[in-house]
Amino acid sequence: MRLRPVAEPDLPLFVRWLNDHEVRYWLSMADGPGLTLESEREWFDEMRADPATVAWCIETEDGLPIGNLGLHAIDEAHGRATLGIFIGEKAYWGRGYGTEAIRQVLSYGFREMDLRRIALGTDEDNARGIRCYEKCGFVREGLLRAHRLRGGEPVNAVAMAVLREEWERGALGDHDGR
Amino acid sequence: MMAAEAVLEAATVRLRPLARRDVPLLLRWTNDPGVRHWLHRSESPPATLELAQARVEEMRRDPRTLAWCIEAGGRPIGDVRLLEIDTTHGRAELGIAIGEKDSWDRGYGTDAIRRVLRFAFQELGLRRVWLITDADNARGIRCYQKCGFVQEGFLRGHRLRYGRPLDMLAMGVLREEWEAQPSR
Repeated sequence: MRLRPVAEPDLPLFVRWLNDHEVRYWLSMADGPGLTLESEREWFDEMRADPATVAWCIETEDGLPIGNLGLHAIDEAHGRATLGIFIGEKAYWGRGYGTEAIRQVLSYGFREMDLRRIALGTDEDNARGIRCYEKCGFVREGLLRAHRLRGGEPVNAVAMAVLREEWERGALGDHDGR
Repeated sequence: MMAAEAVLEAATVRLRPLARRDVPLLLRWTNDPGVRHWLHRSESPPATLELAQARVEEMRRDPRTLAWCIEAGGRPIGDVRLLEIDTTHGRAELGIAIGEKDSWDRGYGTDAIRRVLRFAFQELGLRRVWLITDADNARGIRCYQKCGFVQEGFLRGHRLRYGRPLDMLAMGVLREEWEAQPSR
């Protein structure tokens, strides 16, 4: 697996992934309008102009793009950022790519970007996602009630975060290539 | 976007849209060490007139932000904002600062927040308003609780204050809870 910066030629792929109802289901855009190449290009231009956002494309060892991972709301003054991820190719769900990608980005965020804290929010019933985040060292910090709508229904969001010192303990404590 | 720029009257305060003429005041408030202590901005260099101006312009341009100046007895004493207004998910974040310290502990903040909640739930049709605040901000937390917010999360080291990590609380209030409040 490797991470590389998102590039313009990826956009049609992102549109396909994000218009897939099973992929979309867990994302905050689930209740928004469908994506078009134009709306995705707009997102891309904004993202590139925004110094508080970095986004990577997740590729398999064979160079096949399978998903997207980003750090948002990067706040240098307070040393923190928010993580967002999805695997768009469903054939690659449940195979550890997300976990590996997140571990790489945590290492980058804590070592290279000098962040102190990386947080995320996810649907309370996203058991697969939460298990993956916990494996990466995230711990639950709260439950934001009815934080978003999914199919028109309020869904609670779990707030999770990992601190640099926790991550360092984990990174030194095992040798799984983190 | 929606019903922007409304003047909101409450029992002890009046909320009017934040305007360009408020910039010097905002600057004085946010650079007051006693006020700044509780602000995210405590880690940034003191604001300049240009910075404060740019911030107000940006808020006024951003369709996801509504900001009011809080006036008590005709005198501006602070500001209150709805941020990240998300009409798809029906939620927004609340931010408030009473910049005039002689107006602290008089219930003005509580009054202002209650009025903004009424606007958010009734006029904007939001389902949820939430906020984050320093975990040691006992006065603020008490005020938010009075307004119906309940603690939902404990964000470890969410910000720095004078270079040291500081825990913050996430608090939220849902429309149906707000509707059930006798004192809303």
